[in-house]
Amino acid sequence: MKKLLSGNDAIFQGAIRAGATYFAGYPITPSSEILQQAAALAEEDPGFRFLQAEDEIAAAIGTISASLAGAKSFTATSGPGFSLMQEALGWGHAVEAPCVFFNSMRVGPSTGMPTQPAQSDLLQVKGGSSGDYYPIAFYPNSVEESFRLTVTAFNAAEESLSPVILLFDALLSHLYEMADLDGIEAEVVPRTKEPLGKGRRLFTGTAHDRMGNVKTNDPEAYRDWLNDLKERHLTTADKYPLYEYIPRKDSETLLIAFGITSRIISSLKERFSIFRPIRIFPVLEKELQEITRPYRHIIVVEGNDGQYASWTECAIHRKVMRVPCLGGGFKFQSIQSQIEERLKEGK
Amino acid sequence: MIDRSYKELLKLGRFPHTWCPGCGIGAVLKNVAMAMKELGWNNQNTSVVSGIGCSGRMAGYMNLDAVHTPHGRALTAAEAIKTVRPDLNVVVLSGDGDLGAIGGNHLLHTSRRNPDITVFCNDNEIYGLTGGQAGPTTPKGTKTITSPRGEHYQPLRLNRILTTQPPYFYARTTVYHLNHFKACIREALLYKGFSFVDIISDCIELNGRRLGFKTAHQMFKWFDERFHMFEGVRDHLKDDELGIAKREAEAEVEEIPMGKVEVKHEDLKTFTREELKHFDGAEGKPIYIGYKGKVYDISASPLFQGEKRMRCHMAGKDLTKELDVAPHGDDLIFKFPAVGMLKVKAEAEK
Repeated sequence: MKKLLSGNDAIFQGAIRAGATYFAGYPITPSSEILQQAAALAEEDPGFRFLQAEDEIAAAIGTISASLAGAKSFTATSGPGFSLMQEALGWGHAVEAPCVFFNSMRVGPSTGMPTQPAQSDLLQVKGGSSGDYYPIAFYPNSVEESFRLTVTAFNAAEESLSPVILLFDALLSHLYEMADLDGIEAEVVPRTKEPLGKGRRLFTGTAHDRMGNVKTNDPEAYRDWLNDLKERHLTTADKYPLYEYIPRKDSETLLIAFGITSRIISSLKERFSIFRPIRIFPVLEKELQEITRPYRHIIVVEGNDGQYASWTECAIHRKVMRVPCLGGGFKFQSIQSQIEERLKEGK
Repeated sequence: MIDRSYKELLKLGRFPHTWCPGCGIGAVLKNVAMAMKELGWNNQNTSVVSGIGCSGRMAGYMNLDAVHTPHGRALTAAEAIKTVRPDLNVVVLSGDGDLGAIGGNHLLHTSRRNPDITVFCNDNEIYGLTGGQAGPTTPKGTKTITSPRGEHYQPLRLNRILTTQPPYFYARTTVYHLNHFKACIREALLYKGFSFVDIISDCIELNGRRLGFKTAHQMFKWFDERFHMFEGVRDHLKDDELGIAKREAEAEVEEIPMGKVEVKHEDLKTFTREELKHFDGAEGKPIYIGYKGKVYDISASPLFQGEKRMRCHMAGKDLTKELDVAPHGDDLIFKFPAVGMLKVKAEAEK
């Protein structure tokens, strides 16, 4: 049956469908509804555990530790909280804990504009923690897709043995749409990692070899371990080359947009081709190269000052035009006039 | 013959360990392993968690599933593990810098939530692994590499922090008072709830030598001078006492009165403006006022007490118009119980 649901509702239900049994979080608009629903569920269902932590640091560490202990776990936050979670994300990659982090983006840096929507945490996802790691991140653009991608994110987490990030934004969090979530069939990857209390393993953020033995000055062991991690992440990501491409034969221009911006510019599909990456990281290099090739102009429309545009340029070795929607200003007219301007200037 | 079976719980293949000769952490690791062995705790029913620092390395030498967290996060990780796996015994092995400084917030809140975990804090009053900087428990006046003229501030007294909210279990012991040390470890492991053992330990290489001690044993003697042991269990420990401070949970607080202020509309008596006038507080009568169609009993308001009026507002009157222009919000009114409905004129005439 169809129901009127918000993005946050769909995400929570997606997590439950994926088999999540632990949530730790800290209140922050616009993701608090997920925390509230988790609290309500924990009161009803003793199999579901919930922690309202003292800060996002504890929430993130709790999420990863719960995963090591054997639960499918998740947390939800927004930009400033996501900054606090970076330490834990790095640790999550080091100890190989499958779990999902939801980040509903709002205008930053710092407290920014609570709570105007933005898409400006992409670089934070890619490299907010220290060292090299290869995060996987998805970004839906509708309530129903939020549900599907949440399940996908949990699956990718189990396969890559790492925290996977589901990006969304303040608009999508509070966007209400009709959706029939019960009718959606979603394949769920079961838990594969052995829970605690079974072996003699060490889960450590310190550099270690494949057995978990600490190796703080052994470059070989470190490289082996990192290569393993990289390969596993890239192989997992390859299973989910998710994107949406709406070509228009007579158009010389390709618009690239994701998340809520792709919804806003969708009416331009009569004039331009539109490409919507759903897997944001690792960047869809092959797909971008192939799809952008025939176009004279490529314009990236995004809610930040050119974060995905830079990644696109790296991937396709070409300059792209940028239409930043800053300060929560996602007005269609303004985006349209900026696109016209760019095309007139030709840069 | 000495029972050495506790060695099953240690990863001897990883020895020699990373700690300096004379360090107290070895004693902590060994005695915790011995106590766990005695209690039958093993890799099937126990998990250890540690933080960062010299003491954080302890988890890596335990021969069971161990989690080595980022700086300060050991308690949060332990709590989450215990939440998901109540069947596991969860033990935290960490130090004073990790638990008291960078993890201080987690110490406050994890102890408040009282999960059934045991925390062993190797309290050596210094940041050892990073080279001997002042830590949160470094006594005032101690010279370290970040306090070259002596530490400026009073140390963090873990006993005072951890014994504020019952239930609690806080024990202080030293690595030198061996029998006491063993007893505290055992008591803490057996305690149901959040138990914390503050183990005064020595860091001879990066603290003791700067203080003028030649050997670890001289530091132990210094511990013996500084601290006094007492028998039995108390509520609180003084700052120079070794022992166990334990207290059970206080009786449950009374239920928070929720919805007391709201009364159902149909149960409310209806007042006319004339009737309302009688309730002006004179001769011990209650003080009522009208506001937006309701009558509120504001007898409890300190501003009206013993007077018929408070500045421009009269008791026994409909104050809707007055309050709408008043400099304060109407939340002042909603604090008081509604006792009736106010009949407006048109209704009254019908």
